Amino acid sequence: MSLLSAHGLTRRFGGLVAVDDVSLEVFEGTILALIGPNGAGKSTLFNLLTAFDRPNAGTVVFDGRDLAGMPPHRVVRLGLARTFQNTQLFEEMTALENVLTGAHTQTRTGWARAALRLPGTGREERLAREEAQRLLRLVGLAEVAHVHASDLPHGTRRLLEVARALASRPRLLLLDEPAAGLNNAETEQLARVLRQLRDGGVTLVVVEHDMGLVMDVSDEIVVLNEGRKIAEGPPLLIQKDPAVIAAYLGEEQLDA
Amino acid sequence: MSRLRTALPAVAVAAAVLALPLFVHDRYLLKVLSYVGIDVVVVLGLALLFGFAGQISLGQAAFFGIGAYTSGVLVAVHGWPWVAGVAAAVAASAAAGALLALPVGRLRGHYLAMATLGFSEIALVAFTELKGLTGGTDGLSGIPYPALGPFAARTPGANYVLVWGVAAVAYVVAANVVALRPGRALRALHGSENGAQACGIDVGRTKVVAFSAAAGLAGLGGALYAHLVGFISPGSFTLELSILLVAMIALGGMGSLPGAVLGAVLLGMLPYLDAVVPGLPKSAVEVLQSWEADIYGLVLILVMLFMPRGIAGALRRLRRERGGER
Repeated sequence: MSLLSAHGLTRRFGGLVAVDDVSLEVFEGTILALIGPNGAGKSTLFNLLTAFDRPNAGTVVFDGRDLAGMPPHRVVRLGLARTFQNTQLFEEMTALENVLTGAHTQTRTGWARAALRLPGTGREERLAREEAQRLLRLVGLAEVAHVHASDLPHGTRRLLEVARALASRPRLLLLDEPAAGLNNAETEQLARVLRQLRDGGVTLVVVEHDMGLVMDVSDEIVVLNEGRKIAEGPPLLIQKDPAVIAAYLGEEQLDA
Repeated sequence: MSRLRTALPAVAVAAAVLALPLFVHDRYLLKVLSYVGIDVVVVLGLALLFGFAGQISLGQAAFFGIGAYTSGVLVAVHGWPWVAGVAAAVAASAAAGALLALPVGRLRGHYLAMATLGFSEIALVAFTELKGLTGGTDGLSGIPYPALGPFAARTPGANYVLVWGVAAVAYVVAANVVALRPGRALRALHGSENGAQACGIDVGRTKVVAFSAAAGLAGLGGALYAHLVGFISPGSFTLELSILLVAMIALGGMGSLPGAVLGAVLLGMLPYLDAVVPGLPKSAVEVLQSWEADIYGLVLILVMLFMPRGIAGALRRLRRERGGER
């Protein structure tokens, strides 16, 4: 079943058409990779899919709901979470606190309840902390739970952002270049986490440059070039697609 | 049990602070400390808004004034009970804070500072020009002492206990808020608004609540002030006070409630240093008081240059570096 479907998405910046009439379907329980040369419109499309940006034309429907006009924080509530190409962590918080903040939609304590420490707030906090610890273990960051985000190395920061996004218990998780700047060991850890998530029922959309990772984990690939979708299909077909090879020629070889 | 044990030092400090009038009978000192207690109440609000949520406000004096005039007018002119006047003061200033946040919540950094400063000036003109209500530049006098039924706080000692009792409650409330989910939402705002949205935090709404809470505490402080002094005039609600409050946060350290309290106590005591230093010559006190604003400005500059994260930040770094050596 299609969990997310985009129809005719177009986004113009002045005279530039960054995303040009793109449609795609993300099926439940799969990993879809969004690839394309630099400037192909991947990040713009990504922002449209997560309601961080508004299309000039076209619609995004998540789980039967049209996201038009919906603020991004409400989209998270529906079960659609994201990470950022430039990590947007809370630097002054520890890794654990970052993940706890990610559980905002899963917890309920408001100002009045917190101010008076009404019964139930302590229990909710304790459960949230246990869940946050579990997510840190899942991405392999249990050791640095109490380290400030600003003190974490680059690769660790990306994994932390994944854990924070997972804390909202998303049905669909969109990752913007999660492997950028990761070393081999970290990339392998990431691939393992992604598969584990998919097998656990989380649907994934990944914008990625690392072709090894893309071919390794994705069930379906959508290729963008100059704002247009030029191909889609399973990894084995995409590798042989003449249009894809032409778009990437001189950019990068598609051998996994 | 463990919560009791961790709360014990705080309870001990609170008890010691509140019991002070039993041992100290210096009326001047108690009065000075009461003013400092009011500063603490106001600065706790700014700590939430600026120290934790990173939203600067140069308009806190306006909310302080709204609180002072609301309770002053309602109690002195219309004969409301003190408690009702204070409650109305908190409600009015909190509402004003929320209303201000709706438009200015979209602004950041310098733009937010300028907009809140503008609001402060508008409020100051209103305090001066609404003569029928506020008494204009002549001020509003005859504001009665705080009273609950037959009990009135007429002595400096009683006022001291009242003010610091309120400050203690405000501190506990603020500490509870920052330790839990709403506090993380505030800190997320400071860290990254995109990140906050990606966590499902309604950034606009959180700002409105933060502004409103900070304004409410400023209004509470203003109401306490009005009944303590008995007389208010626009001169008490100028930009100078707003800057002093920001300086208190800067000195104490962003993102720290104990730091904010420390900043308020240090800077709040400064002009009244003679209350704690007995032998201080009159001339030195006069210098401190007439150069007050300049001293605050200088403190702000020095802190920004040499200790940009304030006292709390410096201590935190020290602790982290020590931890790293292990």
